[in-house]
Amino acid sequence: MRRLNHSSELENYRRELLEERKGGATTIIIPNGTCCQAAGSPAVIKALLQEIARQGVDKNVQVHLTGCHGFCEQEPMILFEPGNVIYCRVTPGDARDIVARTVKEGEILERLLYTDPVTGKKAKTETEIPFYQAQDRQLLQYNKWVDPRSIKDYIAIGGYRALVKTLDSISPKTVIEEVRSSGLRGRGGGGFPTGRKWAEARSATGDEKYVICNADEGDPGAYMDRCLLEANPHLVIEGMMIGAWAVGASKGYIYVRNEYPLAVQHARLAVKQARELGLLGDNILGSSFFFDIEVARGGGAFVCGESTALMASLEGKVGEPRPKDIHTVKEGLWNRPSVLNNVETWANVPSIILNGSGWFASKGTKGSKGTKIFALTGQVKNTGLVEIAMGTTLNDIVFRIGGGPKDGKAIKAVQTGGPSGGCLPVSKFDLPVDFDSLYEAGSMMGSGGMVVMDEGTCMVDVAKYFLKFLQDESCGKCVPCRIGVDRMLEIVTDITEGRGTREQISLLEELADTVRETSLCGLGKTAPNPVLSTLRYFAEEYFAHVDEKKCPAGVCRELIHYDILDEKCTGCGVCLKACPHGAIRGEKKKVHVIESQLCLKCGICVTECKFDAIAVG
Amino acid sequence: MVQTVTLTIDGVPVKAARGTSVLDAALEVGICIPHLCHVPFLKDTGACRLCIVENVRNGSSRVTTSCTLTVQEGMNIQTNTEKIRTLRRNIAELLVAQAPNSKAIQDIAVRCGVKEVRYPFRNENCVQCGRCVRYCTEMWRADAIGFVGRGKNRHVEFPFGVRPEFCKNCGSCTLYCPMSVTPCGGPMKRGEERLCGQCESQAVNAPDVIGACVRCQLGTGFSCTRHIL
Repeated sequence: MRRLNHSSELENYRRELLEERKGGATTIIIPNGTCCQAAGSPAVIKALLQEIARQGVDKNVQVHLTGCHGFCEQEPMILFEPGNVIYCRVTPGDARDIVARTVKEGEILERLLYTDPVTGKKAKTETEIPFYQAQDRQLLQYNKWVDPRSIKDYIAIGGYRALVKTLDSISPKTVIEEVRSSGLRGRGGGGFPTGRKWAEARSATGDEKYVICNADEGDPGAYMDRCLLEANPHLVIEGMMIGAWAVGASKGYIYVRNEYPLAVQHARLAVKQARELGLLGDNILGSSFFFDIEVARGGGAFVCGESTALMASLEGKVGEPRPKDIHTVKEGLWNRPSVLNNVETWANVPSIILNGSGWFASKGTKGSKGTKIFALTGQVKNTGLVEIAMGTTLNDIVFRIGGGPKDGKAIKAVQTGGPSGGCLPVSKFDLPVDFDSLYEAGSMMGSGGMVVMDEGTCMVDVAKYFLKFLQDESCGKCVPCRIGVDRMLEIVTDITEGRGTREQISLLEELADTVRETSLCGLGKTAPNPVLSTLRYFAEEYFAHVDEKKCPAGVCRELIHYDILDEKCTGCGVCLKACPHGAIRGEKKKVHVIESQLCLKCGICVTECKFDAIAVG
Repeated sequence: MVQTVTLTIDGVPVKAARGTSVLDAALEVGICIPHLCHVPFLKDTGACRLCIVENVRNGSSRVTTSCTLTVQEGMNIQTNTEKIRTLRRNIAELLVAQAPNSKAIQDIAVRCGVKEVRYPFRNENCVQCGRCVRYCTEMWRADAIGFVGRGKNRHVEFPFGVRPEFCKNCGSCTLYCPMSVTPCGGPMKRGEERLCGQCESQAVNAPDVIGACVRCQLGTGFSCTRHIL
C-alpha cells in the first residue's frame, strides 16, 4: 500500500478513488454486522453471490458488505444503489428472484418490500420508511457507504478530511475551544463536557499523555458503540487522532470488550490500514505529529466500563475502580494524564471540526447538543438503532420511530440508561430526551439503551432483574455496592416471593439512598436507580405485592396462580398435552382443571391455549 | 521543613502536613472518624466507606471518604452531620449483619449508633476490608495473598489456593484482621447472632453524646490510631 507523506496527497488519493469508482454499476449493499449475522445475513450473502455468478451478471453488479444500518428488526436487508430500493427480511431462497428480476430486469419484488406495521403501507425505498424518516442520522448515515474492512471506502466518502484540516490549520487550543463551544458532552452516560475534559488534560503535566476510547459497552440491550466501531472504525480513529492532537497525546487505546469479536477485528484492521497509509505512526501526513493506537480487549467485566477500572484493566491489573479524588485527566493510565471518551463521543469529533461548532450546537437542547444514538428494544414494533437530535420526546421515539406497542398491549414504561438508569412511566413520555431532564426525572441517559415495556411487565420484577445484574457485576471492592446491592436484591426477592412487608419497602428506600450516596464509583452510585425510579413511579405495584400478595402484571410466580375458565374451555386437550409437569387433568370435551400443587407456573398452557381459557390471577 | 495547610474540621481550625489525608489529620487532633479498612502507613483504598465526611464547598456539600481525600488549604469538612450519621449507621449495619463475630465491627456498629439490625445475620468470616492483603503487599512486599473473584464471589486467597513459598509466615494478616478478636461473650453460633449491647461502651452511645469513644478494638495488632485518648 502507498504511504501518504503530505496532507495534499490524501486529497489526491481521494480523487483517484472516486475516479476509479465512477460508472453506473448497480451496488448491492448488504449490512453484515453482528446483529445482521445473527439474523442470517451470511447465508443470504452466500446465496446471492452464487446466484450472481450463476446468472453471469457479476460484471454489472458490485456486492458491498457494510456494518449494521440500524434497522435490526427487518434484517437481513438488501439495499440497491442507485435507486435506494430496500428489501427486508430476505432469505437465501429469495436470491434467485432478486438476481433474475431485480438486478437483471429492474423489477421490484413487492413481497420483499417493507410493510409499515402501523399503516400497512409498503415502502419502496429506504427514505420512505417512517423509522428512518423521523431520525436525524448524523453518525449512522455513513454506515451505508463504508465497508469497515476498507480504508478506501472511508477516504472516498471524505474521511480524514477533518484530520487534515486540524493538522494544517488548527492549533490544539482552537480544537479544544471548538469542541467546548460545540457543547459536546460525553456520550457514555455521565455527560461530562468533552471540551472541559480535554482542556484539563492539556493543562495537566506529564511526560506522556493518553487518549482512550471506551468501547466496553455492557448495558443489557445497548449496542450503539458496537455498531459504530464495527461499521465505521475509521470515524472513531479519526476522532481520537484529533483529540490526541488537541491534548498532546502520543498514544491511544481502544478498549473493546472481548464479547464483540467483530468490533475487535475491524478496529485492529482499521488501525493496521491507517498505519500502512501513514495516518498513524510517526510524522503523520508529513507533519511533526506522531500518534499510534493499540486495540485492547476487555475480559468481560461490566465494571471495566468505569473509567478508573478500565485504566486498571489496561495496566494489566484487576479491573477495580479507585477513588476519583484526583481526576483521571491528571493521573489516569499509568498515573499519566489520560482522556477517556466513549466511542460515540470520539465519532462526533470529526464532524464538529469539519462543520464547525455552530452547526453541532444548532441541534439539541440548551444543555445537551447534537444527536445521540439509542438502542430501541423491547415491546415495540420497530426495534433497532435510532439516532435523534437531543430533545426529541420519548413519545416520538416510542410511537413515531418505534411504531408503538408490539403485541397490542398498552405501553407502560420505558427503561433508559441500562442498569444505571431508571424506568419512566407513560405520563413522562412528553419529556425531551437529554442529559438533564432524564436525570431530573430519576433516570439517566446512560450510554443509550432504551427498553420499552408493556402491561405484561412487572416493575418489581424489572427492578429485581437489574439488581441481579448489578450484584453479579459489582467488583466487590466497596461495602455499599457489594453488600448493599446484595441486601437490596434480598429485599426485592422477598417482595416478589410474597414475604415482603411495608417496613421492608422503607428499608429498601433508605438502603438505596445509602448506596447512592456512599459508593465508590459511578456503577455503585447509580445502582439503586432502577429501584428508586420504580418506587417513585410504580409504588402501587410494590404495595400490591406486599399488601395483597398479588402481582398485577402476572409475572412473579410465587404470587400468581392459573385457572381454567369454565365458560371458555372447550376441552380440546392441548394444554393437557403441553403441560410438562402433568398438572392439568380432564377428559375430552369436558372442562379441564389445573392442580395447583403440581403447577410450576411456567405459563406454557397460556401460550398454547387457542381460546384464551386460562386466566392468570 | 514540613509544609502545612489549614483546614476546618467540624468547625475547628486544624493544621495538617501537606499531602496527608483528612482522616489522618482528624485522628491526629483527636476527632474520631470511624474507619475499618484504614491502616496507618498503608495506602488507602476507600473500601469500607465508613470514614465518609461531607466536604462543603461553595455552599454545596459532597459525601466522600476522608481516607482518600487529601487536605487542601481552606477545606471545610463536616464529620458528624445528621446525614453522615445516617449513612454511616446504615453502612455499619450492613457490616455487622455480615460479620457479627468481630469485636471490631461490633464496636464500630455501636460507635456509629446502630440500635437494631434490620437484615438477617449472615455470620461470614470476612468483610473484605483488605487490611491483610494491603499489609502483605505493601509492608512486606510479599504478595502472598490477594483478592480473587468478583462481586459476591470476591474473597481473599493465596495464589491458586496454595500457600506460596514466598509467604514469610509473618502472621500480619491475622494480626491486622478485624475478625481476630471475637465479641466478649465468645463466637456466636449461627442463628444466635445479635448486636453486641452488653458491654459498657453502650453507655457512652447515648444520643446526646455524639461520637463518643467506645474504645474500638480493631484486631490485636492495632488499636485506635487516635493519638490523644
